Amino acid sequence: MAVSVEIKDLVKTFGETRAVDHITLTIEPGELFFLLGPSGCGKTTLLRCIAGFHQPESGSIHMGGDEVTRLPPHLRDTGMVFQSYALWPHMTVAQNVAFGLEMRKVGKAETAKRVKDALAMVKMSDRANHKPNQLSGGQQQRVALARALVIHPKCLLLDEPLSNLDAKLRLEMRTEIRRICKEAGLTAIYVTHDQKEALSVADRLAVLNGGVIEQCGTPQEVYLKPRSVFAAGFIGETNFLDGTVKKISGERMIISTPVAEWESIHGLDTFKEGDEVTLSLRPETLHLGDASPGQPNVVGGIVHDTVYLGEVAQHQVRIGGDGGRNLKVFDLNPRILARDGEQAASVWVDAQDVVILPRGNA
Amino acid sequence: MRKSTARLIFGITVLVFAVAFLFPLVLVVGKGFLTPDGTLTLEYLIGVFRNPIYVEGLFNSLRLALGTTFLATLLSLPLAWLSNRYDFAGKKWVNALVLVPMILPPFVGAIGFQQILGQYGALNSLLGTDIDWLGQGRWFGVILLQSLALYPIMYLNVAASLANIDHAMDEAAENMGATGWAKFRRISLPLMTPGMFAGGTIVFIWSFTELGTPLIMNYTRCASVQVYDALKEIGGNPFPFALVFVMLAVSVILYAVSKFLFGGKAYAMQGKAATTFTTERMSGWRGFLTLLPFLVVIGMALLPHLGVILTSFTAPGGWYQSVLPQSVTTGNYAEALGHEMTVSSIRNSLTFSTLAVLFNLVFGIAIAFVVVRSTIRGRAILDGLAMLPLAVPGLVMASGYLAFSSMLSNTAWVKSSDTLHSLFDVKTNPTLFLVMAYGIRRLPYMVRSAVAGLQQTSAGLEEAAANLGAKPMVSLKRVTLPLITANLIAGALLAFSFSMLEVSDSLMLAQRQDFYPITKTIYELFQLIGTGKYLASALGVWAMMFLAVTIVGSSLLLGKKMGALFRV
Repeated sequence: MAVSVEIKDLVKTFGETRAVDHITLTIEPGELFFLLGPSGCGKTTLLRCIAGFHQPESGSIHMGGDEVTRLPPHLRDTGMVFQSYALWPHMTVAQNVAFGLEMRKVGKAETAKRVKDALAMVKMSDRANHKPNQLSGGQQQRVALARALVIHPKCLLLDEPLSNLDAKLRLEMRTEIRRICKEAGLTAIYVTHDQKEALSVADRLAVLNGGVIEQCGTPQEVYLKPRSVFAAGFIGETNFLDGTVKKISGERMIISTPVAEWESIHGLDTFKEGDEVTLSLRPETLHLGDASPGQPNVVGGIVHDTVYLGEVAQHQVRIGGDGGRNLKVFDLNPRILARDGEQAASVWVDAQDVVILPRGNA
Repeated sequence: MRKSTARLIFGITVLVFAVAFLFPLVLVVGKGFLTPDGTLTLEYLIGVFRNPIYVEGLFNSLRLALGTTFLATLLSLPLAWLSNRYDFAGKKWVNALVLVPMILPPFVGAIGFQQILGQYGALNSLLGTDIDWLGQGRWFGVILLQSLALYPIMYLNVAASLANIDHAMDEAAENMGATGWAKFRRISLPLMTPGMFAGGTIVFIWSFTELGTPLIMNYTRCASVQVYDALKEIGGNPFPFALVFVMLAVSVILYAVSKFLFGGKAYAMQGKAATTFTTERMSGWRGFLTLLPFLVVIGMALLPHLGVILTSFTAPGGWYQSVLPQSVTTGNYAEALGHEMTVSSIRNSLTFSTLAVLFNLVFGIAIAFVVVRSTIRGRAILDGLAMLPLAVPGLVMASGYLAFSSMLSNTAWVKSSDTLHSLFDVKTNPTLFLVMAYGIRRLPYMVRSAVAGLQQTSAGLEEAAANLGAKPMVSLKRVTLPLITANLIAGALLAFSFSMLEVSDSLMLAQRQDFYPITKTIYELFQLIGTGKYLASALGVWAMMFLAVTIVGSSLLLGKKMGALFRV
C-alpha cells in the first residue's frame, strides 16, 4: 500500500559537516520522487535517514502518518536498492529474494509464489538458482530490485541504482524502474546525480546542495523556472550573466548587464529596481540570425567556434566586443553551418526565456 | 551497529583485559618495584643490573633475539621476493612447505637437531669429522634453531607486503631508468620495510623471551631460563620479577617503536594494483635455480623435524655416532602415548585450547565488529588493546599469572572455599589461568582474521538484511557470519594450534602432573633418564601430525591472507 513520506526539519551531521541541514519535504503516496544533486550534497544521507541507517540529530520522519524517526531499519518496511546492489554472495538469487519474506514469516507456498512473480517482473525467472557472482551488472541490478519489491514495501528506496551500469543499459533500466513502480503503485525515492535520469523518470524532484533543498518541483518546473543559480546550473546547460534590475514597467523588466540590456517577463513580483541579479539563458532558447521586427533582446556577436553534433550545432558566440562574454548557443536541426573562422551574427532570445535569479555563483 | 551495543562490548572487553591482561602485568611490575611492606624501591631493578649473572643473561638473550631476527630475515627475504616475482615449477608446493616448520615448537625440534648436528650426531658420522656444529657455548645453535622455526612469520609478513605493492611502482622505476639492484634497493626494499618490521618485531620478542629451546639446548645463561629457575624457588625472591620487568620493557618499547614507525596501513597503495601483473615464468634450469633457495631453506628448517621423527623410532641409545639410527622400534610410541602423564596431557591440552579458542571466537568477533562496523570513539583503542598481547612475552604473562594466583589464593574467602581454591590456585588446578593465558595471547590472531573478514564484507550486505526486516542478531547469523566463516575458522585453527604448542605459560603455570599440557609433558618426558629424548620425540611427532592437519587446513581456507594474521 503506497504511503506518504513526510520529512520535517531533519538535521544530520557528521563531525563538523552538516550533511542534512533542516530539510522539510513531503512525498505523496504513489509518487516517484527524485533526490538530485552533486556528490556530497546530502542526498544519500537523507535516503539513509529514511531507511533508518542514520539517526538524525533532530527533526522527524513520518511514513503514512506514523512516526518512524527512531525506529531501527528492520522495522521500517522500506525496500532499498543499494548502489552496490548488496546481494548476498552466499545465497542464490531466489534465496536473496526470499530473505525479506522469511523475516516476515510468510508461508512457504506464498513465498515461492511471490519470489517467482517478483523475478518474473524483473525478467530474471531463468536465473533463480544462480549465485549473484554469476550474473552481469544489469542482472544483479534486477535481482536487487526484485528483492526490494517482493516484500511489498511501504516505500521503495533507490540509491543511485544505475550508476554501475553502462550507458545503454542505464537508459533501458530507468524506464523499466518507472514502469515497475507505476504498475505496483509504489511510493519511491530515488537518489541520483544524473540530471537526465531525474528529468526523464521523476514525477517530482528535489535539487539538493550543501544539505539543503535548492528547489523542489516537477522536472519541467525546475528546468524552466529554476529558483537559484545552483538549480539552473545543475540541471541542463545554461549561460549566466550578472546584472542589475534597471527598470520595471508593466509586464516587463529591463536588466542591464555589462554586455547588453535584456528584457524579461519573469520575476516581476520578486525583484525591484536596483536589485543585483543573475540571468540564466538556456543555449537552446538563444537563436542566431535575423530576428523579426520589434523583437527585443537582439545582440550583435561573433560566432567563433562551432561543434557539429548532427542533431544540434553548438556555437560559441562572443557578444559585447573584445573583453565581452561568450554565450553558448544551440542550433537544433542545423542546416547552414558557419564556415571556418569568425563570422558576425546577431543573437536573440524571447523575453519569456530570460530567467532572472537572485545573484549567486554558478 | 548501535552505539549502545558497541559501548557495551567495549566496556566488557576493557574489563576482561584489565583483569586478565593488565592486572597480572601490574603485579609483575609491582613485585619488581615494591618491598614486602609496600614501599616503592628501585633496589631490585638496580640489583639486576649490578648482578653480573643477570647482566650476562640479558646480554645473551639480546644476542639470541638479534641473531635470530637477522638470520630469519636473511632466510625469508629472498624467498618472499622470488615467490612474488617469478613463476616456476613446484612454486605452489614450496609456498605451502615454507610454513611447515611452524607445526613443531622449536624446543622439541632441538632434540632432533642435536641428534643430527651434535658432536656425536649424524653429520659428523657422515663426514667422519668431530666438529661441534652447534657452536661452543651453544648460543649459535639456539639462534640457528630459532630462526629456522620462526622465519615463516617473517616470510608471511614480507610476502603480504610485497603482494600489496602495485606493480606499476616497479614499472615506474624502470621507466625512470632504475633496474636490477638499484630498483630493488630504492623501490622494492623500502616498500617491504613495514612488513619486515612487523614480522621482525614478533620474531624478536618471541626469541628474546623463548624458554623451551634454551632449556633443551642446555643454554642456561639467558634471562628467560634464569627467570624460570628463580621462580621455581620457594620464597618471594623479587629479582626475577625485576628481570621480567626489564624484558617486558624491552619488548613493549620495540613494539611501540615499530607501531609508531610503521603503524596503520603502512604505505597505503592508491587503490589495488590496477595493471594485471603477470609473474615472470622461469622454466628449465632457470626454474630450478629459482626453486633451489626454497629447497635449501626448507630442507634446513625440516632437519629438526626429521631428527625428531628418526629419534622417535630409535630404540633408546640406538643413535649415537652413526648417520642413521642403528636399531628401529615403535616402542617409544607405545610407551610415550601409554604414559599416564601423556594421556591426561592430551586431554588437558585439548580442553585448555578449546576453551581458549571459544574465548577467542566470542571476543574476537565482538571486538572486530566494534572496530570495523561501529563509529564509537574508543574503537581505535580497542583495536590497539587487542593487539597488545603480541608485545608481551609469554614468560612475562606467566610470571604475572603466578603472582595473580598466589595473591588470590592467599585471600581469606578463597582459602575458605575448596571450589574457589581449585579455581584460583594454579598449584591445585591451573585450568583458569592457562585458558586465560592461551586465550589472551592468541586473541590478536583471531581479531586480525575477523577484522580482515569484515573489512572484505561490505556493510551494505548487513544493511540490506536490516532493510528487509532482519534483526541485528539474525543479520549476524544469516549474512555476516556465513560470509566470514573462512576467516573465523582459519583464525580459530591458528589460535588452537598455537595454544597446543604454547611453551612458557604451560611450563610455568602447570605444576601438578594431572594438569600438564602436552608441551610440559614433552619437557618432563625429556628429563627421564635414559629414555627421555626418545619418548619426548614420540609425543612431539604425535603433536606435529595433529597440528599439521590444523595448519594445512587453515592455510587452505585462508590462502594468501595468512600473512595478515601475523601483522603487528
